[in-house]
Amino acid sequence: FKDVEVNPLCKKIYAELDKPDLTDSMSDLDRVRMHLMKNCGIEDVKISISALRKLSNVVREGDFNITLTIVTIKDSAEIINIEAGKPDSPSLGLAVDIGTTTVVVNLIDTENGKIIDSAGTYNKQSAYGSDVISRIVYCDENDNGLELLQKAVIETINELIDTVLKKNKINKSDIPVMVCAGNTVMSHMFLNMPPTFIRLEPYVPGASKYPVVSSKDLGININPDAKVITLPSVASYVGGDITSGVLSTLMSKSELLTLFIDVGTNGELVLGNSDWMVSCSCSAGPAFEGSGITCGMRAMDGAIDWIEIDKESMEVKVRAIGNKKPLGICGSGLIYSLSEMLDSGIIDRAGNILENGSSIRVRMGNEGKEFVLVFAKDSGSGRDVVVTEGDIKNLIRAKGAIFAGIRTMLQQVELDVDAIDRVYIAGGFGNYINITDAVNIGLFPDLPADKYAYIGNSSVHGAMLVLLCQEALYEIEDISDRITYIELSIGNKFMDEFISALFIPHTNLNLFQRCGV
Amino acid sequence: MALTGLDIFKLLPKKNCKECGQATCLAFAMALAASKTSLDKCPYVSEEAKETLGGASAPPIKLVKVGKGDKEREMGDEVVLFRHDKAFYHPTCFAIEISDKLTGAELDAKIEKINGLVFERVGQKVSVDFAAVRNESGNADTFAAAVKEVAAKCNFALVLISTDPDAMAKALEVAGDTNPLIYCATVENYEKMVELAKKYSCPLAVRGNGLEETAALVEKVSASYKELVIDVGTNQLSQALAELTQTRRLSIKKKFRPFGYPVISFTSKDNPLDEVIEASVFVAKYASAVVLKADEKAQILPLMALRMNIYTDPQKPSQVEPKAYAIGNVTKNSPVYVTTNFSLTYYTVEGEVSGSKIPAYIISCPTDGISVLTGWAAGKFTPDKITEFIKACGIEELVDHRNLVIPGAVAVIKGALEEKSGWKVIVGPSEASGIPSFAKTHFA
Repeated sequence: FKDVEVNPLCKKIYAELDKPDLTDSMSDLDRVRMHLMKNCGIEDVKISISALRKLSNVVREGDFNITLTIVTIKDSAEIINIEAGKPDSPSLGLAVDIGTTTVVVNLIDTENGKIIDSAGTYNKQSAYGSDVISRIVYCDENDNGLELLQKAVIETINELIDTVLKKNKINKSDIPVMVCAGNTVMSHMFLNMPPTFIRLEPYVPGASKYPVVSSKDLGININPDAKVITLPSVASYVGGDITSGVLSTLMSKSELLTLFIDVGTNGELVLGNSDWMVSCSCSAGPAFEGSGITCGMRAMDGAIDWIEIDKESMEVKVRAIGNKKPLGICGSGLIYSLSEMLDSGIIDRAGNILENGSSIRVRMGNEGKEFVLVFAKDSGSGRDVVVTEGDIKNLIRAKGAIFAGIRTMLQQVELDVDAIDRVYIAGGFGNYINITDAVNIGLFPDLPADKYAYIGNSSVHGAMLVLLCQEALYEIEDISDRITYIELSIGNKFMDEFISALFIPHTNLNLFQRCGV
Repeated sequence: MALTGLDIFKLLPKKNCKECGQATCLAFAMALAASKTSLDKCPYVSEEAKETLGGASAPPIKLVKVGKGDKEREMGDEVVLFRHDKAFYHPTCFAIEISDKLTGAELDAKIEKINGLVFERVGQKVSVDFAAVRNESGNADTFAAAVKEVAAKCNFALVLISTDPDAMAKALEVAGDTNPLIYCATVENYEKMVELAKKYSCPLAVRGNGLEETAALVEKVSASYKELVIDVGTNQLSQALAELTQTRRLSIKKKFRPFGYPVISFTSKDNPLDEVIEASVFVAKYASAVVLKADEKAQILPLMALRMNIYTDPQKPSQVEPKAYAIGNVTKNSPVYVTTNFSLTYYTVEGEVSGSKIPAYIISCPTDGISVLTGWAAGKFTPDKITEFIKACGIEELVDHRNLVIPGAVAVIKGALEEKSGWKVIVGPSEASGIPSFAKTHFA
């Protein structure tokens, strides 16, 4: 965020007020207002009721020297908190990424843009379903479903806030603003809006821009009058996490044609530049997050994230995160597996495991053939770590969906893949992808590796940007207005592309000439 | 060459106001490029953009209307050479010929017969479109009398066939207000025919002898009148096919204006069977109207079906017909698998079920061609909808048992499905690849 000028949503202002006397009997609030107008150029400031209730006492407690915490959202400034005397903590704000699976809270010093602390945990909504659809279904089928789901996510956020505030010895009342980025379903549930119609044709969300609410209305445990901003969405399956990601890449301000890929369950894609942007969601499924794969797991200790197969001896070398004994395979390990198994002739381009070659490692399992990466004696779980034919088909579908999404989107704007100047890979998973292997299996287009860049959790980065820069809020609303959503279920272009991509790397090998197929 | 969405976008106001019904200016531009909306939906578009876009986005083939009210048919306004590139939009119109030599009861019988060429196919009413009265007698008054009769009694719009401007003038006196298609202007008569077409504001067919003469004639005519339909005057099938292709190709690929009109074709054969085969080539290959002599239901029905099929929007997900499929030598005890009607899903399941060597039924539920999880996510593969289809597809008569295997991925619907359908639900494997071993354990 170096190139962004800091003009945060919240500021602490220390004010030495003129003391009242019989000739100057202006009210306490007017005195504050006058001071802000004269010394800080802030006109028309509002005040929260709780701040107003303690105003008179606090002003006198500090002998008319007070610290005001002011939140400015789109030219509308409001005093959220007042303290006696000089500020005893920096001006603070929270940037929150409400992911379907994990929630991350960053505590930010809004004056210098530094992350004071960060905490993340699993979204408690998982108890009601592991994906957004199951959770919508839960809302629909249970009378108090929405209430429970909202409570779950609020609790998750509150616990994280508690953790970081306690660790840094900060009072709740010192947090006057919070910016949240989440997909459309998460945003709806967070704000207690029914998500029912998001999943039903023609896939219409309740809203794509959300009002600013007070934390007390949501039950968020910070200053009760704190402003909670929920970042705007584009469509039912392209939400505030994506607009936020786009904001953080600054692609909406660049002339370079940028492809933004969120390699997650929804597989959101955004293509464009400062002139125009299109997006789609290609529903890749959770395979790359380790879900739905026999030995799949999230990228944590014990997860295989790198493998190599010797083409002569068929010996398999693996590396597990944290140098632990392998327990399972995470997304990047799966990409390596597919690529290595293909290169060493264990599978064919359709993903079938072949009989020949390493016969000890190839065997018949319950769900068809499987390839043993790690034998039980070397694993951390005492069980073999395998990749089954079913897993491979699952991965091929996931990579096929993302590639087909990219192709369909390019077709819509009638551009060639070579027109892309750079590719940003987002998502918690993005940090672990090896580009060469991802191209080798046909997950990403065959572009020079130097066009690719990882950007990690761009959703929370975008939320931080908004927190630190008032203009960013206008920018992100503009982004949400400008992005053209492409519905992939209309027409059969996507389906044709998808079927062509159900091959490693693709049915049309000409698309992958650079990687030397 | 037509403008791309991005080209058009550059000329739009970029307000993203949504007043055109599209979410963004780019979406509007893409819809314009695909001819799915019109520029006048945008209230803020500049005059300059209108000029640039108006010319560029003008349809390569003009839309021409024949008939009025219920009888009105639209022809032309096509944009592709192959239906899979987008779609064919305006189905070929069929005209059945009537000779003006017929009079009295004979004429009535013929009109009655044509009025009867109405069919019901897959729930839709379809019919022929025009009655084409031909001035076979060569007499202007006879022609006008026949036209008057047909106009009064026939349920379809008219095509008036005569190259004699006097006969046409008389016919238009009695039927000019029904917006008939005037057939036709030729090199010899075009000035008078254009006058007539203008006078009654009716569409006019222009016939030349071959591509070059036709183009030259259209250019002369279109200088003063533009409601045209063209006929390149061929009556040999192989040549007609080549010329229909040329006219469509030149109008779309080269924006060759003289061919930017719908095309009318005549069958040349006398044997109805040959005629129908000829007409079917015209339907597949760009004719906007076909004039036939055949008038038996059995001869016309296949053309109706062909027209519907060719002009179906191909931009639909690939799906199989929703029904109960028997795989192998099924008996009353064969297992029953349920899946969606998405082709890819269905054939994956079908492959594994037949691979299991245990005969079974597969029920492909109507999910508009989407997969199991997508169908579940979008509320199209739900206990209610599956139950409804179990009743509708007739499986209850085909098997004695009441056991249903559902995909493992939607195990969550087991309870509700059992409750609603009354069938016992067995959760199958998550992947179809697990079906052979699953079948062996459960049904061998």
